[in-house]
Amino acid sequence: MNKIYLWGFIVTASMLGFTYVSVLGSKGGFNGDIVNILTIAGAAALVIITVFVVIKYVRQMQTDTADGELVNESWDGIGEYLNPVPMGWAIIYLMTMVWAMWYFTMGYPVQSYSQIGEYNEDVDVHNKKFEAKYASITGDRLVEMGESVFLAECKICHGLTADGIDGTASNLNVRLEANVVKNAIVNGSNNNLLGMEMPMPNREFLFNAAGSAITDAEIDTVSAYVANGFTGKGSDVYLSACASCHKENGMGTDYGPNIAKYTPQLVVNVLNHGKKGVIGTMPAFNRLNAKQKEAAGAYVTSLSE
Amino acid sequence: MFHWLEKNPFFFALAVFATIAFAGLVEIIPNFAQSSRPLIGTTPYSTLELAGRHVYIKNSCNACHSQLIRPFKSETDRYGDYSLSGEYAYDRPFLWGSKRTGPDLMRVGNYRTTDWHENHMWDPEKVVPGTIMPAYRWMFVNNTDVDTAYAEMITVEKFFGVPYNKPVPMKDGSTKTIKMADTLHQARKDALAEARIIVKDMKHQDVIDAVEVGRIPEIVALIAYMNSLK
Amino acid sequence: MENRPLEYDYSVSKLFIYTSLGIGFVGMLVGVIIAWEMAFPAINTIFGDGAIAEYTNFSRLRVLHTDSVIYGFVLSGVWATWYYVGQRVLKVSMAESKTLMYVGYAHFWIYLFAAVVLVISLLMGITQSKEYAEFEWPLDLGITTVWLLWGASIAGLIGLRREKTLYISIWYYIATFLAVAMLHLLNNLAIPTYYASNGIGAWYHSVSMYAGTNDALVQWWFGHNAVAFVLTTPIIAMIYYFLPKESGQAIYSYKLSLLSFWGLMFIYLWAGGHHILFSTVPDWVQTLGSVFSVILILPSWGSAINMLLTMKGEWQQVASNPIIKFMVMGSTFYMFSTLEGPIQAIKSVNAIAHFTDWIIGHVHDGALGWVVFMIMGAVYHMIPRLYGREIYSKKIMATQFWIQTLGIVLYFTSMWIAGITQGMMWRAHDEFGNLAYSFIDTVTVLHPYFVIRAVGGTLYLIGFAMFIYNVVMTARNGRRVEASELHNTTPMAD
Ligand code: HEC
Ligand code: HEC
Ligand code: HEC
Ligand code: HEM
Ligand code: HEM
Ligand SMILES: [Ca+2]
Ligand SMILES: [Ca+2]
Ligand SMILES: [Cu+2]
Repeated sequence: MNKIYLWGFIVTASMLGFTYVSVLGSKGGFNGDIVNILTIAGAAALVIITVFVVIKYVRQMQTDTADGELVNESWDGIGEYLNPVPMGWAIIYLMTMVWAMWYFTMGYPVQSYSQIGEYNEDVDVHNKKFEAKYASITGDRLVEMGESVFLAECKICHGLTADGIDGTASNLNVRLEANVVKNAIVNGSNNNLLGMEMPMPNREFLFNAAGSAITDAEIDTVSAYVANGFTGKGSDVYLSACASCHKENGMGTDYGPNIAKYTPQLVVNVLNHGKKGVIGTMPAFNRLNAKQKEAAGAYVTSLSE
Repeated sequence: MFHWLEKNPFFFALAVFATIAFAGLVEIIPNFAQSSRPLIGTTPYSTLELAGRHVYIKNSCNACHSQLIRPFKSETDRYGDYSLSGEYAYDRPFLWGSKRTGPDLMRVGNYRTTDWHENHMWDPEKVVPGTIMPAYRWMFVNNTDVDTAYAEMITVEKFFGVPYNKPVPMKDGSTKTIKMADTLHQARKDALAEARIIVKDMKHQDVIDAVEVGRIPEIVALIAYMNSLK
Repeated sequence: MENRPLEYDYSVSKLFIYTSLGIGFVGMLVGVIIAWEMAFPAINTIFGDGAIAEYTNFSRLRVLHTDSVIYGFVLSGVWATWYYVGQRVLKVSMAESKTLMYVGYAHFWIYLFAAVVLVISLLMGITQSKEYAEFEWPLDLGITTVWLLWGASIAGLIGLRREKTLYISIWYYIATFLAVAMLHLLNNLAIPTYYASNGIGAWYHSVSMYAGTNDALVQWWFGHNAVAFVLTTPIIAMIYYFLPKESGQAIYSYKLSLLSFWGLMFIYLWAGGHHILFSTVPDWVQTLGSVFSVILILPSWGSAINMLLTMKGEWQQVASNPIIKFMVMGSTFYMFSTLEGPIQAIKSVNAIAHFTDWIIGHVHDGALGWVVFMIMGAVYHMIPRLYGREIYSKKIMATQFWIQTLGIVLYFTSMWIAGITQGMMWRAHDEFGNLAYSFIDTVTVLHPYFVIRAVGGTLYLIGFAMFIYNVVMTARNGRRVEASELHNTTPMAD
């Protein structure tokens, strides 16, 4: 065998090997996805065909000799042979033409392909596959699933560790930070946190033990109290101003959300309606399905436990 | 026959032209009428949004970001509903892009917010560690060119009948009217009014101050545009 | 008349050569810069994050790169060869007509002026955003003028020709002229807003005549064929002249040239749809794009095979003459990219490849391996003949060849792996049926490939700088040689 074929094999094998190792070693992988498989096949065909066709012509440069009848003209000394076209080339050319004509007149119309139709089928298959599975995902598995949602969708704002990236989104490792509580008291809150329109009144309608509107100092105290997990000073203010809606221990009622810890339902409500607060605006996530939201809720709840 | 052509340059050129012009006619013409109709719920851009679109183009965001969601499960999961032709009816030029160095932005208004954009455009690396998107801090300083946006509104209304100041049907059966000012002076005022709403959710003091005194930094227009992408 | 050799006038050709080298270097330097910016984004703000960052950041520079290499480097390279090859194969000297000389000079100087304005306007962010047609209407008019002047030059030289039959290269130059004229005019139709609104806003701003899906359709009909008729047909025109001329071999087959040419003309124009697969254009247009892309392999490979077969039995020339090496390697990369393109145009493959770096890889194995190699080969062939001097250094040529080849290999292998990896990650769902990766995961994973690409690009640029040095030294210091030594194989000093 000629040396050049050996080189051809080496080049092809190393390119494909390198690609194989890098691509499949990475996180994508085939996943049994036909598109992935076709792509790799296409890439392999590209290298193999080019390398070996070129080698064929290099062999001709090495061993063949040029001859044939020349045309009459000579352009600046350049001549042209009247050689016939290479057979292989001509045949494949004709075959692709015939294939194209067949494809347009028969193949394509008969298949009546539609990309949207294909999409709908894919979605159906996907949904069927997971609908059955979803029912059995509970407990720790649900938290795991929630983590997967979080890493794909939420970490962009809340950060990989859900710390809120320096206060640009909520720190989900704690239920509430003092500035958020303070904002709710001062301005009220109106974010459908209970899953429906149920606003919290602002400071003018929150009363301390003396029965008058809550004061600046009291707001600071009670905000710290809530943010610290209901410890320290401020329980008196809390009991008079807040407990009626949020319960003594902050675990919430039908008309005030849980402010002691996250609940999956609270998170789902936030995902359904978004939230606009002192930190910024959290968008609603309509493109997640119910199970994904539930899972995200379970995950977020688990973070501060 | 071919050899004859090769001796007669004029007819040669004619033959070449006929050969290459043919495909364009067949491919392009039939599609024109059909795909230029707006989808229900698609509205023209407001003054500030259009100015923001110009900021987007000026900085070639389309070099890294597409605005075309293909009908694949993985894309609709990531970005939302796949794109429909009618949604682009007011896009001159189209901004589909051809490279996704960054994510698609066709519906970014659904899942990113004013304050997030503000932080991100100022310092992408802080918001999204590992990103390769550059910071665009000069946008917090440079003024938006509202005048050119207004000129474009006049032009598209005049030449292409873009329905400014006319009720446009929405998905829920209601209608919406996008305003185009009668005068340049009014257009500037309209843009400023839009800017005031955006700035309410922003924290950058220089930007807030600028809008306070009637200037509109580019970032505000850009965010108005980003938020309109739904 | 017939006995005395014609005195060809190469002054316009020389001007274009130097422009090509200059803009080529700058354009590729910008390419190298943006490649490093993708690997290390801090470079975006290397001069601080204030006012200057606006002009050093990736997105402003990227257009500058694409347009300056394509319309600055490649087009002036093409014209340098036109003003050389045109005269020789038509057997007529520019000097025979004062008008033709004026047209040539006007063509050059107006072009240069437009190029300068273009750079400034792109840096300022004045763009219509359509890829490869970014320039606003005043520049579009300027480009039209330049193009018509070139057309006048073609028509003029052909009108005066002594060789009655048009050589293959001339076919391709004519096709380039006609196609780009048509594409440029139709894609850039726009209404200047300043005039339409009676004087409001920026005077140079315009709004496209087409909206949305229609605009996309016209743009990619343009975009694909701009590639075809700027990065392909004029380059084929070059190889059909310079390879047989340098090697002294006759073209392998007239029939193959003929079938490839007319096949290319007919088929190329249909394939634009492959840039907008799975978009909102109708399915049938996309299918046309895919199917014709596959057929397109054949007329493309036809030309390349014709060139390789022209070297039949001439291996010792390939081995010993670096100019021929550039051209044979160029043909090989041409075959590679015209097989790669059609594979990427198959819908299922495009589902992954589109929007990823694999496309960037495809662009550059065509551009670096085919276009730039051919232009360098052509310049190396022309320079000794323009100055009656020997090539300054063959060693530089040979070294440069291998450095650049290595650069290309690093470039496209890293990019195709990056593209396929990213494409697969975008599609992946995990065991719960959720997206497996957030977008940023698919960005950080590419970092090593971006670094490899940047290294490859830097190597390529180094090779190009060696090329410029060699050319300049040839023109200034090369040993003088007799006209008789310049017939075929170019004389070169070790
Ligand atoms: C009248 C009932 C009521 C009282 C009294 C009340 N709240 Fe609320 N609170 C609500 C409701 C309802 C919500 C949810 C509002 C929404 O949907 O945004 C809420 C929300 C909150 C939130 C926002 C939770 C989050 O995740 O952002 C905080 C913090 C809070 N309350 C703290 C307090 C404190 C502290 C007090 C006492 C000073 C108090 N609330 C008094 C009804 C009340
Ligand atoms: C575009 C940015 C963004 C994204 C994406 C995002 N969030 Fe948020 N999120 C925020 C911001 C900003 C807040 C704070 C709103 C406020 O209280 O000012 C927030 C608040 C929240 C809260 C409420 C905390 C509280 O105390 O009431 C929860 C729960 C939450 N996010 C969960 C998620 C989950 C789960 C996801 C992903 C599915 C997600 N977020 C995605 C920006 C985002
Ligand atoms: C060098 C490439 C690059 C350029 C140029 C660029 N971006 Fe990005 N962009 C990215 C990458 C990478 C991401 C993903 C990581 C992140 O969020 O930063 C991104 C993310 C985004 C996002 C968040 C989208 C989402 O779904 O999370 C927005 C919005 C955005 N860019 C807007 C812009 C705008 C507006 C411009 C132009 C002014 C721009 N980008 C220019 C690379 C780029
Ligand atoms: C030193 C050599 C070069 C380097 C390092 C280089 C680098 C780059 C980079 C980094 C990009 C942007 C890719 C992205 O957005 O992901 C790019 C785009 C591009 N380059 Fe180059 N380049 C080089 C030479 C060339 C040459 C010689 C040409 C043409 C003749 C060319 C044509 C293009 C085109 C057309 C694009 C746009 C591709 C697309 O949008 O799909 N480049 N280049
Ligand atoms: C048979 C010939 C070819 C075919 C069928 C073909 C096909 C393709 C396809 C399918 C794409 C990707 C579109 C996408 O998904 O975004 C593409 C992009 C591209 N190709 Fe080719 N290609 C061919 C030859 C070439 C050659 C020889 C060059 C010369 C350098 C070239 C330059 C480009 C460029 C610059 C792009 C990027 C366009 C963009 O900005 O998106 N192609 N080509
Ligand atoms: Ca592109
Ligand atoms: Ca233009
Ligand atoms: Cu193409």
